[in-house]
Amino acid sequence: MALYLKILQFKEFLEEILKILYYYKGRVVFSLSGVALGILSICVIITTIDGANKKAYEIFEALGPDSIMIFSGSERQRMARERVITLTHIDAESIEKINGIYDITKTFPVRGLTLRYRDRKWQTNVIGATENYFSSYSWKLYLGTVFKKEDLENLESVCVIGFKVYDELFKGEDAIGKTIQIGKLPTKVIGVLEEKGGAAGGPNIDDRVIMPLSTVVSKLSNEKRYLGAIRVKTSRDVDATIEDIKAVLRKNHGIIGEQDDFTIRSSRDILQFMSVISGSLFLFLGTASIVALVVSGFVLANLFYLTIQERKKDIGIRRAYGASRRGILLSFLFESVFITFLGGIIGIILSLLLQGVFEKLFDIPMKFSFKVVVFALLFSCLTGTISGFKPALKASKIEPIEAIRG
Amino acid sequence: MITLKGIKKSYFIGERELPILKGIDLTIQSGELVILMGVSGSGKTTLMNIIGLLDKQTEGEYFFMDRNVDGLDDETLAVLRNEHIGFVFQQFFLLPYLNAIENVLIPIVYSKKNIKHPREKAKQLLARFGLSDRIHNKPSQLSGGEQQRVAIARALINDPDLILADEPTGALDSKTGNEIMELFRMLNNEGKTIIVVTHDPKLAQFGKRLIRIEDGIISEDTTV
Repeated sequence: MALYLKILQFKEFLEEILKILYYYKGRVVFSLSGVALGILSICVIITTIDGANKKAYEIFEALGPDSIMIFSGSERQRMARERVITLTHIDAESIEKINGIYDITKTFPVRGLTLRYRDRKWQTNVIGATENYFSSYSWKLYLGTVFKKEDLENLESVCVIGFKVYDELFKGEDAIGKTIQIGKLPTKVIGVLEEKGGAAGGPNIDDRVIMPLSTVVSKLSNEKRYLGAIRVKTSRDVDATIEDIKAVLRKNHGIIGEQDDFTIRSSRDILQFMSVISGSLFLFLGTASIVALVVSGFVLANLFYLTIQERKKDIGIRRAYGASRRGILLSFLFESVFITFLGGIIGIILSLLLQGVFEKLFDIPMKFSFKVVVFALLFSCLTGTISGFKPALKASKIEPIEAIRG
Repeated sequence: MITLKGIKKSYFIGERELPILKGIDLTIQSGELVILMGVSGSGKTTLMNIIGLLDKQTEGEYFFMDRNVDGLDDETLAVLRNEHIGFVFQQFFLLPYLNAIENVLIPIVYSKKNIKHPREKAKQLLARFGLSDRIHNKPSQLSGGEQQRVAIARALINDPDLILADEPTGALDSKTGNEIMELFRMLNNEGKTIIVVTHDPKLAQFGKRLIRIEDGIISEDTTV
């Protein structure tokens, strides 16, 4: 290749290749679009997975690595979205006594309540929670303040509303100190939560109202025995603590050898869940992109074979004028890689343009990085090399005299 | 410049041997203008291909520029062709997607020689052959004579020692053909060694030396 490195020669060489590509533009367009599609999907995979991972780590960070959540209902029931309430205040007390647990948040949800403010209506879930709810979820406030221990003790009718609720009821107006109707209960809005945005496919976490647990169980639901979920933080090993919690709950609920009627989750499970999501995305998009690349590689190789037949004379002349076999091989290979490289660039540009659309469609933030560009270009060059090699080899084996005579 | 000793060339069709050249002894000095004449099937094109390092003899020795070319590898032969030989073909063989000047520059792409300002040089060559206003034309926009002149410019761009022309007038009318031959004569007067291969007896008058090939051997070798 040192032969071609002289700048002028390379410029001539490049110009020639551009002219050749222009001359055979029909075929080039076919190959280009195939490669571009393949690279597009590769870019989408990588950016999506990067985005999903970033999101997962954000959640992990927000929850804190030492958090454990305990829900009512078995794993199977939760999967089937059956709502069973099994956790009790007594359970919470027992859990609190477990060694290493230093923070316990109790919640009880009331679903499908209608909120009213002036003539506006909105239906949402109200979560009764202990005052540490906000700090343990690291959920910051957009406006106002959160409720305190005294509010729980005094059964105050106050609430902190999610951003979505704020948007629907107040449409950007000042909400702090205003009274809204929750079901039949007039409640004072004291705070608005910061917007978190939806996670992949899940419910909108900004669409909720948080109230003191005691107020909810006495004034909204009249359910004094049960809890919806308990969330704890531990200073000990998470897995060991989970075992202790399981033991306590099984004892309290009288479960021996049957299926648990509760579910325990740690932040680790969330990471696992996200990796399952990105895994299935990877499988689906990965297959699609590899199919696209392989097909475009085949198309490229076949079109190249045809061109070589047509360019036999071309090759003969070049050989007569000083091109060696290796020179012919390299120039054909270069031509093929050039096409796929171009296809790769088009694919990258397309994926940048479509990034916004994909984000809306899959609700997963895409993280475009330098790594993606390098990876995409690498893959496109690889396609060019593999699919161009055999035709280029064939071209290099053409004898100048047979080419000129033919 | 060129010495051929007992050159034989055979093609094999299955088991059958088909001798094309049956023992050629020939020396061509620098500065000669040779017309290599023979009817089709006489072996003249095969001989030209061997001289032009495009084909290899079956037997005998070939010295090109005082160097035995037997057993040289493809890479070395390519460099020798590039640096020392300029080819001109009957069908011109210009590349359809390149314009006149780009066609002239083809050998430069493969050249290890340090040709200064090749683009300027190509322009000068084309201007010399009366093609100043055709520089950016594609081959399809040129007449036969013009295409052949572009091809000759291409043969000259790399300052070769030898020009090998295979039936250079075969696809042209006789007036244009004569012009091309005059051009070769002019180049020869400037010191280029030229070998023109043809079947056309009318071209004999343009050479300084006439070599006739019949049935694979040299039957006549006269210097004018």
